[in-house]
Amino acid sequence: MSRRVYLDHNASTPVHPEVLAEMLPYFSESFGNPSSVHGFGREARAGLDVARDRVARFLKVAPEELVFTSGGTESDNFGVKGLAGARGRGHLITSKIEHHAVLRACQWLEGQGFAVTYLSVDGHGMVDPDEVKRAIRPDTIGISIMHANSEVGTIQPVAAIGAIAREHGVPFHVDAVQTFGKLDIDVAAAHIDLLSFSGHKIYGPKGVAGLWIRKGTKMVAVQHGGEHERRRRAGTENVPGIVGLGKAVEVRGRDMHEERRRVTALRDRLWEGIRARVPEARLNGHPTERLPGTANISYRGVESESVVLGLDLKGIGVSAGSACTSGSVEPSYVLVAMGVPIDWAMGAVRHSLGRSTTAEDIDYVIGSVEPTVSKLRAVLPVGAA
Amino acid sequence: VRYSPALLEHFLNPRNAGLMREPDGVGAEEYEGCGDLARFFLRVRDGRVSEARFQTYGCGPTIAAASAASELVTGRTVDELLSLKPQEIEDAVDGLPEDRKHAADVVAGALRAAALDVLRRQRGGDR
Repeated sequence: MSRRVYLDHNASTPVHPEVLAEMLPYFSESFGNPSSVHGFGREARAGLDVARDRVARFLKVAPEELVFTSGGTESDNFGVKGLAGARGRGHLITSKIEHHAVLRACQWLEGQGFAVTYLSVDGHGMVDPDEVKRAIRPDTIGISIMHANSEVGTIQPVAAIGAIAREHGVPFHVDAVQTFGKLDIDVAAAHIDLLSFSGHKIYGPKGVAGLWIRKGTKMVAVQHGGEHERRRRAGTENVPGIVGLGKAVEVRGRDMHEERRRVTALRDRLWEGIRARVPEARLNGHPTERLPGTANISYRGVESESVVLGLDLKGIGVSAGSACTSGSVEPSYVLVAMGVPIDWAMGAVRHSLGRSTTAEDIDYVIGSVEPTVSKLRAVLPVGAA
Repeated sequence: VRYSPALLEHFLNPRNAGLMREPDGVGAEEYEGCGDLARFFLRVRDGRVSEARFQTYGCGPTIAAASAASELVTGRTVDELLSLKPQEIEDAVDGLPEDRKHAADVVAGALRAAALDVLRRQRGGDR
């Protein structure tokens, strides 16, 4: 195996060299606890302050509205449970295709006595703002809708939903983990109150993320302990990680618009190439309102994990839309919610491109998919396809 | 490494994949909940398998297990196939991860079903 092509950027990304360089001193030189009053602590605190300012500038929000967390999952849990906990009881609105961090937090809240409406999506994976409006009840205390779905990349009409939320005085949480640093997000114009974002999807390190909380939004802490993060999230800050996140955001501010154009073109080249060569392939997700680098493609009749394995053996990293664990295979809940027929949903493969992806990579992938899929189809029992 | 070199080799170059014309027995097995499916065709000469071909739908290990099993059973008697253990098939691909053991189960099930079909057809022919 010589060529290696990574097309799983929605899962994680490599740390940008500029990010790594900025982080390194905070492991062993400026290693102090930012809560300490001495010089060592102040050095670490200064690193945190710079990072917080960078993220605040990028989002056009106040630095003190940002809370750093350990990951997108924690940010989502904090957003949803923190909002609910501060209100004690009531009704939440979310969608059926949210990340599990939101879905399972909502399910947990149901167990605590809260009511939750899980909105359906259309065939492109889009939430209808009118349905959000219809779902609002007098006791609705929060709405949580993702900015873009990680599996199919469909971008939700968050500004329209935000306007409805504001009109009804309902706080609005947006899981922007897949869009932060890739698309422009105007939290003021979209009337967003809480925004989850993460570092390792944008060439920052793993284990660091954040939640932006609009000033005045009532929240309770989910994690208790010290006075960190203005008493909203206890625990010594992950200083090198936060420094890295701050730098990653700064780099994204510089590079993301140019990269968006380039990656969108490559994404479309991939789909056009596969569509021209592989029979019975379909693109899942919205044709245009979609993450720049995401192409979720189904091959009817084949099993996605075998495509992933076949491509892996050619040095290509993509991810399966269905997962076979302990002998039971489940098609993706996102594709099921979109109404994708089962024999297509089982053969869904997600390709997610990023800053290192080249046209040569894409052509190599197109050339590899065709024989991989046709070989798998050759061993299919008649009638199974 | 998740899968053995032997498994990956069979996955990449499946032996005896495809249909067989006028087989002496056909059998299939589906793994419930997973949807994995294997179908075997057997040709029998003098009580022994002279050729085994297969078709599968499933994850990589199922395809590899079917390929390895098609080689494993060639030359065996039909009776031996009736008592074929999934472990033998697993050994033929140098092991399966815990959550992919069903690949050997579904392939062994399809081969047993195909062997039963051979015997059934033979009995039918005697009448």
